[in-house]
Amino acid sequence: MARLALRGIVRDYGTLRVIHGIDLDVAEGEFVVFVGPSGCGKSTLLRMIAGLDKPTGGDIEIDGIRVNDRSAAERGLAMVFQSYALYPHMTVRQNLAFGLENQRMPRAEIDRRIADAARMLQIEHLLARKPGQLSGGQRQRVAIGRTVTREPGIFLFDEPLSNLDAELRVQMRVELSQLHKRLRATMIYVTHDQTEAMTMADRIVVLRAGRLEQAGSPLALYNHPANRFVAGFIGSPRMNFLPATVSPNGVRVDGLDELALERFAVAQGAAVSLGVRPEHFEFVDAGGLPGTVDLVEHMGGESYVYVTLANGERITVRRPGQTGLVGGSNVRAAVLQGQAHLFHTSEGEAAVARL
Amino acid sequence: MKTLFRRTIMAGAAMLALPLLAAAPARAATELRIMWYSDANEGDVMRDLLDRFEKANPDIKVVLDRVPYKTITDNLPALVSSGQAPDMARVTDLGGQSSYYLNLTPYLKDKAYWETNFKDVLPWVRPAGETDGVYGLMTQLTITMPIVNETLFQQAGIPLPGPTATWDDWAKAAKAVAAKLNVPIPIAIDRSGHRIAGPAISYGAKFFSADGQPALVDDGLKTMARKIYDWHKDGVMSKAIWGSVGGAAYRGANEEFSNGQVVLYMSGSWQFGQFAKTVGDGFDWHGVPNPCGPAGCSGMPGGAGLVAYKTSKHPAEIGKLMDYLASEPVYAEFHARTLFLTAHKGLMAKGISYAADKPQIKKSLDAAFANVKALSPVAFQLQGYRLNRVLFTPLTVRLNQAISGEMSLDDAFTRMTQDMQDGLKAAGAK
Amino acid sequence: MRAALARLIDWPFEALQRALGAARMPYVFVLPNLLVFGIFVVLPMLLNIWYATTSGAELMPGQRPFTGLANFAELLDCGNYLNVASCRQDRFWRSVDNTLWFVAFQVITMVVLSLITALVLNRKMALRGFFRAVFFYPVLLSPVVVALIWKWILQPDGVLNAILVANGGQRVPFLLDPSWSFFWTVVVSVWAHMGFYVLILLAGLQAIPPDLYEAAAMDGTPQWRVFWRITLPLLMPNMAVVLVLGLIRAVQAFDEIYVLTGGGPGTATQYIVQYIYETAFAGQVHIMGLAAAASMLVGGVLLVLTLLQLLASARAKQ
Repeated sequence: MARLALRGIVRDYGTLRVIHGIDLDVAEGEFVVFVGPSGCGKSTLLRMIAGLDKPTGGDIEIDGIRVNDRSAAERGLAMVFQSYALYPHMTVRQNLAFGLENQRMPRAEIDRRIADAARMLQIEHLLARKPGQLSGGQRQRVAIGRTVTREPGIFLFDEPLSNLDAELRVQMRVELSQLHKRLRATMIYVTHDQTEAMTMADRIVVLRAGRLEQAGSPLALYNHPANRFVAGFIGSPRMNFLPATVSPNGVRVDGLDELALERFAVAQGAAVSLGVRPEHFEFVDAGGLPGTVDLVEHMGGESYVYVTLANGERITVRRPGQTGLVGGSNVRAAVLQGQAHLFHTSEGEAAVARL
Repeated sequence: MKTLFRRTIMAGAAMLALPLLAAAPARAATELRIMWYSDANEGDVMRDLLDRFEKANPDIKVVLDRVPYKTITDNLPALVSSGQAPDMARVTDLGGQSSYYLNLTPYLKDKAYWETNFKDVLPWVRPAGETDGVYGLMTQLTITMPIVNETLFQQAGIPLPGPTATWDDWAKAAKAVAAKLNVPIPIAIDRSGHRIAGPAISYGAKFFSADGQPALVDDGLKTMARKIYDWHKDGVMSKAIWGSVGGAAYRGANEEFSNGQVVLYMSGSWQFGQFAKTVGDGFDWHGVPNPCGPAGCSGMPGGAGLVAYKTSKHPAEIGKLMDYLASEPVYAEFHARTLFLTAHKGLMAKGISYAADKPQIKKSLDAAFANVKALSPVAFQLQGYRLNRVLFTPLTVRLNQAISGEMSLDDAFTRMTQDMQDGLKAAGAK
Repeated sequence: MRAALARLIDWPFEALQRALGAARMPYVFVLPNLLVFGIFVVLPMLLNIWYATTSGAELMPGQRPFTGLANFAELLDCGNYLNVASCRQDRFWRSVDNTLWFVAFQVITMVVLSLITALVLNRKMALRGFFRAVFFYPVLLSPVVVALIWKWILQPDGVLNAILVANGGQRVPFLLDPSWSFFWTVVVSVWAHMGFYVLILLAGLQAIPPDLYEAAAMDGTPQWRVFWRITLPLLMPNMAVVLVLGLIRAVQAFDEIYVLTGGGPGTATQYIVQYIYETAFAGQVHIMGLAAAASMLVGGVLLVLTLLQLLASARAKQ
């Protein structure tokens, strides 16, 4: 298994800069997920790591060796494409063998590797078929199988689950995690779905507009987002944001009373954005923020209550189990102690430090 | 809105109807259509004469459709066979479709005039089996004969062969001239069986067996064919003419001659007018007597004829036009301006004052007249034979194949006979 | 007013529909085209069969005596099929022989050149749009224009010879030498038609998903293997179409060659269509029976090729 280092990676298209200096270290055996909205540059970054694209500046190091000038094949990587990119005119077996044949591997070795991979991915019964005769999920396994047989230093995944239906996606997430554990391989995974990132990653790298916003373990990002963008991106349902001003004992949410909060290192009267996750609100009889219930979603194991506050802002509140609240009820929402986040109002700026 | 739409419809209808109304009065005049080809200026001269005819006959309009020669040879036969023939046409293959010709005799004013002056050539346009009647008017009498580039001889300092020179004499002289001056083509002969027929007859070819049946290959023909074959080998003749096209396609050497690349060009009298224009004062040229062989110094007579077709709806008007064109003053003028030889016996005796300002023309026409007198009777018989193209085409095609090295000369002779028999069978089987 | 006009147009169709029923209406719309096709294609084909089984020089079918398969027998009468000289109708067999050689050389040259050109034009390069158009221009030219252009280049005092002489070489009579003129008929024919096949192959190349090439790059595949194992197999359906269409067109080659060489020198570049044309319409007595029989034989060959093409494209659809 190999480790990866990105040093100051920059990518320009003419005068347009799409990747603005990214630094990252990926340790051996780590499952790193690149996540971000469309156009954030995550696929571009992955392709540069793969060798399908060349960075305009910066270094890519695999196991400490600079590989910028090496072709894709020479870097010891394997990639699962979003469309799987299986050779449609070859059988599954031929697809799996193709890359190995390029290395002039002896036939026996090739067959052994194919057999191992097929068993691991449960595609033994599909070896004689052509990709056109397989279902989406089967094709995906074959694509993964193709990378497994190569025994690469790093596995690369480019949004592999986006073409599958919801149920299959859940199943494949689990299998991919299991595969990672089994092979103890370094894996770099690109997705736009933060759920996949949260469930599979050892470490998440959040990208936006070609910049690395924050890198860390899923829970680290969840509990301590570095800025408003990461806070809003990670976590479903989304964190609630309310415009507020800092007041002596906490913050004053615009249009409402002061809300008591722990101390933050920020000046009095500063305009901030108050971020509270849905599960960090509770309904109280007094104090808190007044509002009216719009709608309640009963999931059975939990409920989501959509509230319009008295100042017109809307928030989502998560209640465990089931609730008797109905639309139209008057409620008061309070923030659990120590669970509020304060951000500068512009998304790009880092969160205010909590004391 | 409604009225505007209605008015538009009315206007459109009126615009469509107007040409129909306008066309109506024009139909009062009879229209004759002539399909015509030209070698040189005959079309212009004919148009001029027709204009005068129209003035004299205001109820007859004559349209002269000027087409390339290839249209006459390739397209006209199909038109005629399918009943789509024009009223009249100028054709060179006189016998081929003679069964479709209109018998002009009932529509002519003076049959005796025609019979006296065109006695020798009337049989050429008569349908098979007919021995009487006028079926067409020869637009010229042509004769195949060589035309020499005299300037080249002068520059080479070699004397022109005399009037009784043989083909071998000419070959030697032309080769010498060409070698000295680096001229590409000593002798050029049009790629056509008709053109070789004259020299072949001079060497004893008979073209018909004793009982009058066509017979292509005999000793005389073989001799001439072999000469041409050998000349291509020795460089006396260039493959640029005979080798440049395939099958039965015609290929002349007009351009090469007028560009001064040919010493002796075996073609015919119809080229005089053209060369007067294209050569101009570039070099000195004139027609020469037909070279001789043991059997004579013959060329081939020929000429295009103006014929009318049975399917025409205006035979009376055609008769009028034919009489006009054949009348002595008009006919003489036509020949004088086109520099054609004439088949009109009366004019031949009187002589035609050609509008030839160049001495080359006069010299050539004099030579042509002499050549006409030297024509062998075999030549006349051959030209008058209805299916003579069955003899000419295999000669061209197979000799060409031999020259190009595709088969031996003897094979070519065998194939020629076979082709002739195929052609006779196809044409004779009705 | 417009509604009235529409009603006017509708009326005959509605009347027809009432008479025939809606299920038969499609036939009404197909009928005009069928009529045209029938009159101008099917009827002449049937007439041709009559011409092939009759003899004589008359154009009107009624005046031609029936001779059954005599024309075919005469065409196929050969002592030894490999020796043109032993055949009764040696000009027919010579043109068949020439056509076979022509088809072999021309089709192979054209398919290979079209493939290479399409591969080159598929890459990102400067002026790509311009080059793609340029290769197609000759296809738009009339065959006569094509032939005249090349005649002008190849004739003894033409451009090519001028270049040769200027560089100290000898003048070569390209169109007067049997081998050279054959060579040039292949070149001119390929030049005139290649663009069309380049287009077909280019479309096929562009239909190959680019991430297959990226996967091959990740697999460390050398360029020749990418072409041989990925590009070519995925291009096979288009190649099959190009091959059969090219074969059919090569057998039918006539226009540009007739103007370029006229079948010469001798009969070195006389191909089967020219033989049929000359036998039937040009030259001496119009032996239409033989020509019609020859055209039916050629038609049979083309029919086989067309069936092959249908098979090839049916397999491609799978």
